[in-house]
Formats: sequence, C-alpha cells, structure tokens
Amino acid sequence: MNFSKELTKGIIKDNPIFILVLGMCPTLAVTTSVINALGMGFAATFVLLCSNIIISMIKNITPPKIRIPVYIVVIASFVSIVDMVMAAYLPDLHKSLGLFIPLIVVNCIILGRAEAFASKNNVIMSIADAIGMGLGFTLSLTVIGIVRELLGAGTLLGIRMTPLTYDPMLIAILAPGAFITLGFLMALMNMLKEKK
Amino acid sequence: MKYYIKLSLILLVFCAVASGILAYINTLTAPVIAERKAREAIATREALIPGATFSEAQTATGETYFIATKPDSDEILGYTFIAAEIGYSSTVQTMVGVDKDFKVLAIKVIDQAETPGLGANCTNDNFTSQFSGMTLEKLYVDKDGGAVVSLSGATITSRCIANSIRNRIQAVQADLATGGTQ
Amino acid sequence: MNSQDRLIVSPAPHVHDKTTVKNVMWNVVLALVPALLFATYYWGVRALLLSLTGAVAAVVCEALIQKLRKVPVTVHDGSAFLTGLLLAFNIHAGAPIWLPIVGAFFAIGVGKQVFGGLGNNPVNPALLGRAFLLASWPTQMTAGWVAAKDSAMSGINNLSRIATNLEQLSPKAYELVTSATPLKVAQTLRDSSFVADINAQAGGIDLGGRIFGSLTEMETLKSLFWGNIGGCIGEVSAFALLLGAAYLLYKNIIEWRIPLYYIGTVFVLTFIFGGIPGSGTSVMLPFFHIFSGGLMLGAFFMATDYTTTPITKRGRIIFGIGCGLLTVMIRFVGGYPEGVSYSILFMNVMTPLIDMMTLPKAFGKVKK
Repeated sequence: MNFSKELTKGIIKDNPIFILVLGMCPTLAVTTSVINALGMGFAATFVLLCSNIIISMIKNITPPKIRIPVYIVVIASFVSIVDMVMAAYLPDLHKSLGLFIPLIVVNCIILGRAEAFASKNNVIMSIADAIGMGLGFTLSLTVIGIVRELLGAGTLLGIRMTPLTYDPMLIAILAPGAFITLGFLMALMNMLKEKK
Repeated sequence: MKYYIKLSLILLVFCAVASGILAYINTLTAPVIAERKAREAIATREALIPGATFSEAQTATGETYFIATKPDSDEILGYTFIAAEIGYSSTVQTMVGVDKDFKVLAIKVIDQAETPGLGANCTNDNFTSQFSGMTLEKLYVDKDGGAVVSLSGATITSRCIANSIRNRIQAVQADLATGGTQ
Repeated sequence: MNSQDRLIVSPAPHVHDKTTVKNVMWNVVLALVPALLFATYYWGVRALLLSLTGAVAAVVCEALIQKLRKVPVTVHDGSAFLTGLLLAFNIHAGAPIWLPIVGAFFAIGVGKQVFGGLGNNPVNPALLGRAFLLASWPTQMTAGWVAAKDSAMSGINNLSRIATNLEQLSPKAYELVTSATPLKVAQTLRDSSFVADINAQAGGIDLGGRIFGSLTEMETLKSLFWGNIGGCIGEVSAFALLLGAAYLLYKNIIEWRIPLYYIGTVFVLTFIFGGIPGSGTSVMLPFFHIFSGGLMLGAFFMATDYTTTPITKRGRIIFGIGCGLLTVMIRFVGGYPEGVSYSILFMNVMTPLIDMMTLPKAFGKVKK
C-alpha cells in the first residue's frame, strides 16, 4: 500500500460518484452551477479530511460497539464548524448551498470512508485517502456543474459563455437535468473504462 | 452491565469534547455573522434610499420598518421595510424603499429559493428596476392588470413580489395614518 | 412442397399474419394525415413544415445513433418518423423551427435509443420529448400561440352574448376570453377570486358564469369538434383525429379498451366535478372536456402505444381509467391547464406494475 496510490484512486479508479455511486444527494442537488459544485466539493473534502484524521487517530480507543455514533459525532462536529465558518466568511456561498451543508453529515462518502478506511489505517494513509476521495468528489461535482450550468444557464462561473441568441435549456438546472447529466457522464466513464 | 456504562461514558466524553469545541467556535463566529447581517441590511437600506439616516419603528402589529430622514433634520425622505410572501417554492423576501408619498424608490430581493432559470431571475436588475416609481395601484403584475412585467415562465413569483410589496405598503401606510408609534 | 416440410416442428404461435412493425407504424402515420391536413388548413404551411421537420429530425437522429451503436439501421420501419410527427403535433404552430428538432433528438436519443431502441422504451418517446421541451423552454412552448384561421383561440366567438356592452369587459376579462386555448379559459375560471374580481369590474353581472356558459355552447363545441381553436398542431381537430382513429380501429391496429375507458373516465368525472365555483355546472361540460386539449390525440394515438401500455385486457382498462383520472385531476386542480401528456407518461411508468397485477393465472395453478 503506498501513499500516491491511495491519493489518486479516488479520481478515476474508485471515483466516489461515477464508480462507487456514493453521496448522490449533494450530487443531484447542488450541481446547478460550477461555483456551488466547487463549494460543496471543498466543504465535503474538508470534513472528510478532518474526520479521517481524527477517526484514524482514535481508532484504538473507540470500542467497536459504539464506533458509528462516535464517527457521527466527529463528522457532525466538523460539519457544524464548516457551517459556522462559511456563514461568517463566505455568506454568499453559504446561502446558495443552504440546507446541503448540514446534510454533509449524512453524505455516505464521509461515513463510508471512516468505516472502510480510516478506522483500519494509519493517519498518513487516511489523509491520502481523504484527499483522493475528496478530490474525486469535487472533480466529479464540478464536471456535472460545468455541463449543467453551460446548458441550463449558458454561463460558467457566472460568466456568459454562449451567444445571446442561445436560449438556455432550463431542464439542465432543474432536478431531471441532474439525473440525465449524471447518467450520461456515468455511461461515458464506463465506456472509457471498457476501452482500456 | 459495567461494560455498557463504560461505553456510555466513552461516548459522553466524545460528545462533551465535541460540544466544547463547537461552543468555542460558535463564540468566535457568531458575532461575525451577526455583524455581517447587520451590515448587509444597512448597506441594502442605504442603496435603496441613499444619503439618509434610518431610525427603527414598529407598526401596531409589531412589524419593523425604518424611517429614512435627512441627516441633521427631521424631514422624512421615505421608509424601508421587508416584504415577504410565499412564491412558487420559497418565501421571497424583498427589501423595499418608498418615498414619503409611498411611491416605490427601489427594491432588492434579499432572500429567495425559486426555480433556477425562471423564478430565481427575480433578483436580476432588469426585473427589480421596473418597480422604481410605481405607485400602489400599479403594483400588480400585467396579467392582473398592473404595470409589473412578469418574468417569463414565472408569473407566480412575479405576482408574489408585487403583491407582497403592495400589501406591506398598505400596512405601513395604514399604520402611519392611525398615528403609528412614532 | 417437399413432404419433409410438412413435418416441421416449431414453437407457438403458429398463426401468421401480415402485421409487421413497418406496416403498423406507417398505418398510424396515415391515420394522422387528416389531423395534419386540418392543421395545415388552419395555420398554413408553417404547421406542415414544423410537423415534417420533427419527423425528419427523429429519423435522422435514429439513423445516427444506430450507426454509432453499430446496430442495423431500421429507420424505414417508420417508428422514428411517427415519434417525430407526434412530438411536433404537441407543439403549437407559432413555435420556433428548432423546437421540434431539439425535441425529436431528445425523444429518440434519451427516450428510446438509450434504453435499447424500439420496444425497450419505458415511456412514450414523443411525450417524453414534449415534457422535456416544456421543462426546458417553457416560454417558447407556451407563448406566441397563433390564432386559427377564422375563430377566436379560446373558442369563444360570440363576445356580444357575454357582455351586451363590450366596455363591461375589463382588460382582465378581455384577456381571459382571448386566452390561447379553451382549456386555459376553463383553468382561469377555477380561480374564484379571479371570477369575483372580473364580476365586480363588470359592475356586478355574473361575467364568470357567462364566459363559462359560452364555453359549453353549441357554437363553441362545434369549433372544438372541427378544430377551429387555439392549440397544438395535431390536437385541435377532434373530427380529424376520430377519422384516423376509426381507420386504426377498423384495421385492428389499436385496441378499443384504452381509448374508451380513458375518454369515458374523463367524461364521467368532468360531469360529476365540473363547473366553476359559485356558478354551477352544465350538462354539456363533459363534451367540452373530451373535445378540447390533447385528449383525442392522446387517447387514440399515444395511450395505445404497444410498448408502453399493459398487455392484459384488465390491465388496459386500469390504464385507461388511470389516465382519465389523472387528466381530470390535472385539469381541475393542477397547475397546468392540460394534463393528457403527463397522465399518459405517469401511467406508462406504472405499466409493468399493472401487467404484473393483472397477469392471468396459469392453467392448473393453485392459489397459495
């Protein structure tokens, strides 16, 4: 097991969204624009990193019977920290991510990595795992965000990318657009994987 | 039995530590958040009625509004208040500035979660700017015979904004007419 | 014949028929020709152009995707042509020309080929295309309706009978009676505060009731029957659609259960629950509802799609009743004036469940 392998596996091989299909709630809900996707990605990555470190540190003093409540307490604490800090220093992003910040608590990627990886590996490896998974999550959200924002609003990061004659395809930024975009990107990932 | 007590105690320690850390961070961020909110409200008010000093007032029903006066004098320039009503998928909150005759000076949508691409366009300037100069009887959407041009595909949102502003103007006006609490 | 050929053993079915996919699809297209001709008469060449554009776009899209998927190109079977045509029939004649093209690509690409092509689509591709267009470009789909040749779009021609003095018609009431489609008028009249408002503006006369009454007058119903009203390209003329439907029923291409139970349910429910608040109902109201909107088109041409509807007889009855129930619910309490497309789509999704529920018991099987 080496550090760089753990770091990169989340990006393609074990991509949390397109391959493991974890964390669908934020994926479908907040990818209406690139900035929201990036914000959610980084917030979740931060929580994932911190919770992986702490859980890996305390793995020897947590009784197995109560490990899940302990993990949730750890994760929830970091989510609350992110929530408060964002509200104080990034209010615009906090407003548009709204309800989905507290919901990071139940993002299965975070609990999943805590249970499957951090509780069995040392701190260094857990950091690599968290960064890799977090990056994979952020990247995937951003790709979905790019497609949806470009099609549904004709902009990228709020800057107009299409000629004024383009009538945005509104469905792309509505809920069905999230499912359709996700489906096509997953198919694309599978196609690339099979070609290898 | 002893084992379970031990488990509970361990969990308690974890929770206690977590709560302690959260409480500490809350004391750090809460004032920043409060201050930011207050500053935002002041900035919005000043954008609506520039160059005025504001003093808080309340209607008889206990709703807050602000009276804008000329600095260093008692001459009333207008009023600002927040109008809110349920739109298509959220409560749309609009801060409204009116002059002393209750003609709309400017409005700003401060909080909404309407459909992106349709109702969410209500925050755009080319929608909000049309409200400037409107009087009470014009504050209906075009479909209801007023002067407010609806957002395309979002009549409900447009109507909710127009109606909420109209209702709040009427409420404040009525309150002042009966003496208010000035 | 070689004596050996007479002894061939093959699995059932042994009865052969000339019915092929190609035969069925082109016959349905033929049955839609009257509706297309009526639309062309009312709206001019533009309606014809939009319809053919949609059909051709669907064919091109299907051919392209089948080439990409490296499967035999089967566009000559007419199923893509039919999908494109039905999709364009769900668009109004004032729509921009790219609308049926984009819609056809979505209908064929996402509605059909993604699932594996003909026979594998879970919902009617044409209706999916329409739902996609309505969600994506609501403005283009619902604004800019074109009036039919020589009638009011709302079907109400005799304004003089509503208000003796036309000044009684406030702008609000005038806009109502000139709404884009008859169903839009019916929907607006559901709003009791709106009705009270226009009544007050008309000086206390029951304007809402009169407008409602004129919807169910013989003259309006006639316009509805012939299609001299506002609406989507293919849906306006009940007469043309019934003509096509009769042909399909005669040729045994569609089965009578779904359309009958669908239209019947709408008829009965609108009779029971029709009317506007405070102004009563009318015995003619069910006729208004079955002739208006996309009901005829939906019931005969889209709710009878082989792939997306139940195969059992009892299942088809449930399907028809379900469609009718949902359509009336959307028309009476929903946010849209018309609900045919969404109700068929919804029942399409329910189809596997209905089939499972109504599967006949195998012979000799003991109930557990």
